[in-house]
Amino acid sequence: MRRTATVAGAFVLLAVAATIALVVGGVHLSLRELLAGDESARLVASLRAPRVLLASLVGACLALAGAALQALLKNPLADPFLLGTSGGAAVGAALAALAGFSPFVSPAAAFAGAVGSSLAVAALARRGGRLDLQRLLLAGLIANAFFSAVLLAVFSVASGQTARTMLFWMMGSLADATPGRVLALAPYAAAALVVLVAYAPRLNLFAVGEENAAALGVDVESSKRVVFLAASLATGAAVAFAGIIGFVGLLVPHAARSVAGNDQRTLLPVSAIGGAALLVAADAVSRSAFAPAELPVGAVTAAIGAPVFAWLLLRSS
Amino acid sequence: MSPALEARGLRAAYGATRALDGFDAAIGKGELVALLGENGSGKSTFLKVAARIVSPDGGQLLLDGVPLDSIGRRESARHVAYLPQNLDLVFPIRCLDLVLQGRAPHARGFSADSEGDRERALEAMRACDVVGLADRDASALSGGERRRVLLARAVAQDAGIWLLDEPTAGLDPRHRLEFLELLARTHASRGTTVVLVTHEIDLAGDIADRVVLIRRGRALASGPPSETLTPERLRGTFDVESRIETDGQGRRRVVPYAPAR
Repeated sequence: MRRTATVAGAFVLLAVAATIALVVGGVHLSLRELLAGDESARLVASLRAPRVLLASLVGACLALAGAALQALLKNPLADPFLLGTSGGAAVGAALAALAGFSPFVSPAAAFAGAVGSSLAVAALARRGGRLDLQRLLLAGLIANAFFSAVLLAVFSVASGQTARTMLFWMMGSLADATPGRVLALAPYAAAALVVLVAYAPRLNLFAVGEENAAALGVDVESSKRVVFLAASLATGAAVAFAGIIGFVGLLVPHAARSVAGNDQRTLLPVSAIGGAALLVAADAVSRSAFAPAELPVGAVTAAIGAPVFAWLLLRSS
Repeated sequence: MSPALEARGLRAAYGATRALDGFDAAIGKGELVALLGENGSGKSTFLKVAARIVSPDGGQLLLDGVPLDSIGRRESARHVAYLPQNLDLVFPIRCLDLVLQGRAPHARGFSADSEGDRERALEAMRACDVVGLADRDASALSGGERRRVLLARAVAQDAGIWLLDEPTAGLDPRHRLEFLELLARTHASRGTTVVLVTHEIDLAGDIADRVVLIRRGRALASGPPSETLTPERLRGTFDVESRIETDGQGRRRVVPYAPAR
């Protein structure tokens, strides 16, 4: 009962954020115009709708992956980019840009980079046939360090225009939202949600410790692989379509935990919906604060995220 | 009748470090067995192998006469409960939810929160005098409370075998005695098989039906306390000289007084 109420509350938050995101921007609509549905309002809203949908899917993927990894690794500071996903995606995007394909136009390279990097990190973390969760964190650190070196090398040889394109991609942007991209990302988000929510009771046992889960009958090795893969695919797909948007995957699970508790069966869906709401709102801010110019949405999430995180930290002590 | 738990030449290792090196032991149904040995002798590893936390790399462990590796993990978790020495919690969790985790191996998809599960968890908490802690955050418990909540979880798990890793370590005398009383009571009323690892020689002598001495991953001796807790055996197990005394209540007391030369 309480679970249903919390999930419903998160949906209300998302609906409010989406409504605001549909009316604000370079051309401002009033709520009445939106509801009346006259032609110009419909036109503007239909142009903004894919962007709102893409923002909610990207936000949901990042927050869901973050929440699941925090439970799996029993680490409240885990985030979807910690495990090498973002570095791999950035290198994939940068190499594509160097070859003349804008990463905004061709997300495949970033996706390949993200997933390839995740698999390499998992391979590095294997030890005697087991996926060692402590080594997973270290391997992610190593991968991100290596990829940032590659990235600097690519930047140094890239032309000014290419470097600028890469930089904007790395700051995160939802400006290239199309219905096609929404449809391409939706299956990843849906699959990750279904798989991770099915694993939520196991993740509750992992949140107390890997040995705890094993002693209570969980096949820990297969669970680690499934959760890591689902989180990596969701993160990789989100990054491929929107660049690197920080803080959503770290912050939203914390905020959700403070209202919904740490039962993953509630926390995972609430995080996904809350992540969607946060990114939709952040994107609305990025479009409207200095319209017609756009702020990078990654800068907005960090600007909102850091103070909120600081507040949560102060409140918890 | 086959033993509840039987190790035959059991071997296990952490990387290059060998923890169990041909360990043999048979633990009968309903027995309370104490496992004694120096640090790093393999006692805790034996519990972890039986709890399916560590995979053995040789030999066999039989649960009710059936090889453990032929039983599903979840199925064996319905029969074997493991009580770790510590819970290193980083996320908040209510004690009731921690006890409810004992129902996870019995539940579909490990999702245990039916009315029946909740009833059993509360009943187990009542039996262990911790029902008043149900809504408390488990990371804020004292050592004694944590042991009792974990015992309540083993009761809720409905497992016939309890594995306890140093259950009295770090407890003050009163909480230590209270916990041991509770353990003896619940063990007797439920007829469970108990294997406990401890460094307290006299505790083993007082409450165990049988003592297994272990060194370098092998069993040195197994038998009633009066036959195993002897100066000669303890020298072989711990490299200490000791003498046996009798206290005012007529109980055997082992007094280790010097490292063996």
